[in-house]
Amino acid sequence: MNVLDLVRRSRKLKLFLFIGIPLLYLFIFFFIPFLIALLYSLGMFKQVVYQYIFVPRVSLDYYAGLFKYPGILKLIQRSFYYAVLTTLGTFILSYPIAYYIGVKLDRRYRDTAVLIIFTPFWINFLLRVYGMRFILHEAGLVNTFLRLLGFVSEPIKFLGTDLAVIIVMIYSYMIFMVLPLYGVLEKLDVELLEAAATLGATPLKTFLRVTLPLSIPGILAGSLLVFIPALGEFVIPELVGGPNTATLGTIIYSLFLRVRGVTGWGIGSAAALIYITMIVVASYIYMRFVGGEVVLG
Amino acid sequence: MKWFDRFLKIYTYIILALMYLPIVVLIIFSFNESRSKVVFTGFTLENYYRLVNNFMVWDAFYNSIWIGVVVTIVSVLLAILMSYGVTRYSFRGKAIVDSIMLVPIIIPEIVEALTLLVFLVILGFSLSPYTIIIGHVAFDISFAYVVIKARMAGYDPQFEEAARTLGADEFKAFRKVTLPILAPGIAAAALIAFLESYDDFIKTFFTRPPGFLTLPVYIWNMASRRGFPLDLNALASFVVIISLVFAYVRRRVERGVLR
Repeated sequence: MNVLDLVRRSRKLKLFLFIGIPLLYLFIFFFIPFLIALLYSLGMFKQVVYQYIFVPRVSLDYYAGLFKYPGILKLIQRSFYYAVLTTLGTFILSYPIAYYIGVKLDRRYRDTAVLIIFTPFWINFLLRVYGMRFILHEAGLVNTFLRLLGFVSEPIKFLGTDLAVIIVMIYSYMIFMVLPLYGVLEKLDVELLEAAATLGATPLKTFLRVTLPLSIPGILAGSLLVFIPALGEFVIPELVGGPNTATLGTIIYSLFLRVRGVTGWGIGSAAALIYITMIVVASYIYMRFVGGEVVLG
Repeated sequence: MKWFDRFLKIYTYIILALMYLPIVVLIIFSFNESRSKVVFTGFTLENYYRLVNNFMVWDAFYNSIWIGVVVTIVSVLLAILMSYGVTRYSFRGKAIVDSIMLVPIIIPEIVEALTLLVFLVILGFSLSPYTIIIGHVAFDISFAYVVIKARMAGYDPQFEEAARTLGADEFKAFRKVTLPILAPGIAAAALIAFLESYDDFIKTFFTRPPGFLTLPVYIWNMASRRGFPLDLNALASFVVIISLVFAYVRRRVERGVLR
């Protein structure tokens, strides 16, 4: 009882219990690993038999190794290409949906509509990607459809191409764009739109001058939620791509789990840190460019 | 503008239908007997027989469940402590603590996974199911925290103060007043935490011991081969049913939170 009484009385002990323990957990198992991986990528851990010892000497060998990797610049360029197209694609496809559900649809049906959007995303992501393989296959739905309509005589080979990767990425990341957009559009004051119309604005002008600027926080949140993970995607290029669709994520994955060893891990950590740096820089530039604050959730 | 509204409506329906298409196709082909796999040739239940007799799948499923349960309990407990501290106490650096809690949601999982792996190996931990749990808790605390804190910030601390005035100490007030009010929020947080762990692939894949399977890892092992293993389609039907049950439970729980 003594310890309990002590806790009861002391505000500091209580604060440690409430804030300190969870925070400590995150520091030990989330933030310190980042630091360790950073030091590791700088060659500051040496393996001696089965143990690692700390060497206070910085070397950029692993980073140099990464940039000597065959075709690494092409890989980084391709990762950006996929991530940018995925972000644009999800935005273009999602905006009308979010607009319809958030502005046009009767309030009573909105929850149900969101539920209908959400449900497929409850099903394991890997299975959904695997399902897309049936659709994009040479004898799959898309090709059958195109042939019936007479667009193509020979089936198009989607699997293994950039196009397949981008289609599946857009499909998989849609939800992260729809929900933030819906979040802002649903709160949009319809009277503002009516006011613009009363004052003589055409629907197009109302959209460009009122609706679109007011949805910027949602656009920002949505595009960061899509872009950040899309840049490091490795599952989709592995499952529907081929030898020519390797990305930054693919290289990190194969360095860590296929090449392994001190070198694989060193170069892999270097790649991961470059990935994080690119995210921070790209998000910063993007937010300066679009302006406004990100509102998550 | 009537035609435009109609266009929006039809467009939305089409896209929503397309979202379901890959899943529907998976389930249809789970009944396919063909050897060519992508053309439907005839009805069979053979893929399901193979699934039922595949002990690796059930082993993986069992692992996903028990890991998910342990992760949920630990992360929800830690998240309750944290939300209580943040909403009921004022201290320096509160805003910073609050944003630190959100970092694991934003950081890409592959980076989280490999930094944890490097950390564990350098410290000399050998990989085990417990290293998977450690990794899952590190992101699940954040998900649980967001939900529980929202609930805790949304009600009046006067209830607790009333209990204190009537002679309850802080622990008793927490147990008798705060906890019952928080219950729906805790249930919602637990469900989200469980699903994030149960469905996690990348972090599990990096921090698992060799040969250890969870359901997503098993799915990856099957799907990352070229070709179309139809047992995986039968497994998909099973996973879809379970996911729909989860979705239904979650909807009920969330309605409870809103009430």
